[in-house]
Amino acid sequence: MSEYAFRKIDIDALDEDVLLPSDLYDPDPRGPDGVLSDAKSKSTEVRNLISRGDTAGALNTILTEPPYGEGVDEAKDITTTALLLILNSTRSTEIPAIVKALGPEQQDHLMAYLYKGMAVLGQGTDVSGSVLLTWHEKLTEVAGVGCIVRVMTDRRTL
Amino acid sequence: MSAPEVFQLSVGPLTGVAFSPDRSQVAVCANTNEAQIYARNGDSWELQHTLAEHDKLITAISWAPQTNRIVTCSQDRNAYVWTPTETGWKPALVLLRINRAATCVKWSPKEDKFAVGSGARTIAVCSFDEENNWWVSKHIKKPLRSTVLSIDWHPNNVLLAAGAADAKAYVFSAFIKGVDSKPEPTVFSPSGDVLAFVAHDSSLNVVYPSGPGAPPAAYISVKLPSLPFVNLTFTSESQLIAAGHDCQPIVFSGDQSGWAQSHSLDDPTSSSSRPLTPHATGSRVPSGGVGRLGNNEAFNMFKAADSKGQRSGSSAPGGGSSASSGLTPVGTDGLLLTVHQNSITLVEAYEWSSNGDVSKISTAGKDGRLVLWPVTAKAGGLAGKFGALQV
Amino acid sequence: MSNTLRPYLNAVRATLTASLTLENFSSQVVERHNKPEVEAHTSPEVLLHPLVVSRNESERVLIEPSVNSIRISIAIKQADEIEKILCHKFTRFMMMRAEGFVILRRKPLPGYDISFLITNFHSESMLKHKLVDFIIQFMEDVDKEISEMKLSLNARARIVAESYLSTFA
Repeated sequence: MSEYAFRKIDIDALDEDVLLPSDLYDPDPRGPDGVLSDAKSKSTEVRNLISRGDTAGALNTILTEPPYGEGVDEAKDITTTALLLILNSTRSTEIPAIVKALGPEQQDHLMAYLYKGMAVLGQGTDVSGSVLLTWHEKLTEVAGVGCIVRVMTDRRTL
Repeated sequence: MSAPEVFQLSVGPLTGVAFSPDRSQVAVCANTNEAQIYARNGDSWELQHTLAEHDKLITAISWAPQTNRIVTCSQDRNAYVWTPTETGWKPALVLLRINRAATCVKWSPKEDKFAVGSGARTIAVCSFDEENNWWVSKHIKKPLRSTVLSIDWHPNNVLLAAGAADAKAYVFSAFIKGVDSKPEPTVFSPSGDVLAFVAHDSSLNVVYPSGPGAPPAAYISVKLPSLPFVNLTFTSESQLIAAGHDCQPIVFSGDQSGWAQSHSLDDPTSSSSRPLTPHATGSRVPSGGVGRLGNNEAFNMFKAADSKGQRSGSSAPGGGSSASSGLTPVGTDGLLLTVHQNSITLVEAYEWSSNGDVSKISTAGKDGRLVLWPVTAKAGGLAGKFGALQV
Repeated sequence: MSNTLRPYLNAVRATLTASLTLENFSSQVVERHNKPEVEAHTSPEVLLHPLVVSRNESERVLIEPSVNSIRISIAIKQADEIEKILCHKFTRFMMMRAEGFVILRRKPLPGYDISFLITNFHSESMLKHKLVDFIIQFMEDVDKEISEMKLSLNARARIVAESYLSTFA
C-alpha cells in the first residue's frame, strides 16, 4: 500500500504561491503579550464602569481595538466575557441610543461579538439568546446589513 | 428627470455587455457560451449576429471604440478577438497561455493591446503579432496570489489596475497597493489621477496616489449600511456611480478630502421613479390586495408592516427605510421596487456630455435587464434629499 | 408569531440577505470546473466567516458564506423523544426528495437537522429576496408542522388506546 501513499499528498499546498489564511490580514502590532495585558486592563475598567452604571462608556472601551487573530485566545475570552456582561446589564430600552452613539468600527466589532456570542450559546456562558437577538435587531436597524457583510468579510477573527 | 430606458434582453443574467462605438449596437452574453450582437431599432433591440466560438460561459466582453473590434473571454480559458467583415464577425484566437478561467477583459485606451484577468493568478496582457497573424500575451504573475476579478487601464496606456480575490487591489508598473477584503472592480477616474475600488465589505475606496514608492496622498474608505457593490464607474473627476447587490445605482461625490453618498439613480422611496414600467415585463404596477380592501392604502400599509416589517409611505429624511436598514424595499406584488430585480453586475459610461462628463450610464444585471440611466444631477426634488444626506 | 420567534427570524433574514451576495466564480484549483466553494473548501480567500444565529441551545442556524455559494444549516427545536422522531422522519422525507426542492442539500451538516445549499446559479434564476423568504417560511412552518404532527399523533394514540382497552371494560 505504501507505494500509493504519494497519491494522497496535497500538491496544491506545496505550491510556493499558495495563499494561506494568515496572509489575508496583518497581525496585531501589539504582540500577544501586549494584547493580553490590554484586554485585562480593559476588562477591569469595564467592570468599574458598569458598577457606576455607565454601560455606554463600558461598551465603547471594550470595542476599541479588540484582540484578533491567532494565539491570543485568552485575551479574546476575557474580552468576550466582559462584553457579554455589558450586554446583560443593559436595559433593552437603552439599546438604540447606545448603539447609535458607537462609531462605525465599533458597530462592526459589536456585530462580530454578537455572532460569536450566539455561536457559543449554551456552552458555559450565562447570556440568553433573546438578549443577543434584541441587540442584533437594534444594531441592524442602525448600521444596516452592510455591518453584517463586514463581519463576514473581516479576516481578523475576534 | 427623464426616465431610464429598460430593455429585457434575456431571462437569465447578462454576464457581458459592450456597446458599439456609435451606440447603435450592443454585444451581450446571456449567461451562455455565445455572445449576441443586437442592433437598436427604435425602442427595441434586434438580434443581428451570434458569436459562437467559446465552449463555456463568456465572462466579459469589451468593444474597442475606435478600431471597432470586440474581444470576448470565457471560462474555457480562451479569448477571441472579433473583427467585422462583410460576411460577419471573424474570430482570431488569442494565445493566452492560462490554465484557468479568464474572468475579465478590457481594451487599452490606445486599443493596441488588451488585458485579460484570470483564475490562474495571472493577468495576460495581449498584443498583436504581425508575423504570425495572432494575438500573443505577456503574463503579469508576481504579486498575484488569487483570482483576478477586475481590471482597468490608466489613460496613459501603461498602468493597469486589478482587483483580486486575495483582498488586494493592485496597480502594475506603479505605485500603491490598497488592502481590503476582496476588492472587486477597480476603475480609474477620467484623468487617471484617482483610483477607486469597491470591496465585498460594503465599502467604496478611493485612492489619490502621490508618486512612485510614496504612500498615497489620500486614501478614503466609505463604509455603507447597504449590501456590497459589484461595479462602479467614474462620471467626472468628483463623481462616480457604483451599483451591486442592492439593485440600484448609487451616485457618490467628493474629492480628496472625502467622499460621500449623494443619491440613488433609482430611489424606490422617491415618487418620481415609481410609475416607470419596463418594456418587456411591464408588471411593476402594484396589484393590490384582496377584495374590497384591495385598494385601501391603510390596509396595504398595515399589511406590509405586518408581513415584512416595513413602513411604506413615510419617507424619512435621508433615504427612508432602505437607507437605514440597508434592505431594498419590496413592493406589494412581491417584486422589488427598483428597476433591476436582481444584483447589478455591470456599470459603464454610455454617453458623454460636451464638457467630458458622463451624462448617461448603462447597467446590466442578473435579471437580464439592460438599463440606460440619465445621470441626474442633484437638482429639483433631489436637492433636499442630497442636503439631508450630507451629515 | 410568538415574541421571541420574531427577532430570531429577523436576525436570520438580515444575515441571509447579507450573505446572498454571490457571483459566478470558476474554480481556481481545478481547471474548467465551477464548484460551490463552500463545499469544495479549496481556497481560503473566497470563504467568508461562518455565522451562527441562535435563539436558544437547541434552535440555531449556521450560515456559511463564500464567493459563489452559501450553506444554511438549521437545527430544529426538539423538546422530547416524540419530537425528535418526528423531526428526523420529516427532514429525512424531504432530503430523500432533495432534487424537488432545488436548494435542499441531501445531507445535513453534523449537529444540524437540515441543510440548504444556495449557489450563484440559484440566485441568478430566482429572486434573491424570494429565496430568503423561502428559508424563513420554511423555518416558521417546520415548527408548526412538527407540533401539529405531535398533536395528531397523541390524539391517534389516545383513540387507539381507548378502543383497545374498551374490550376489557
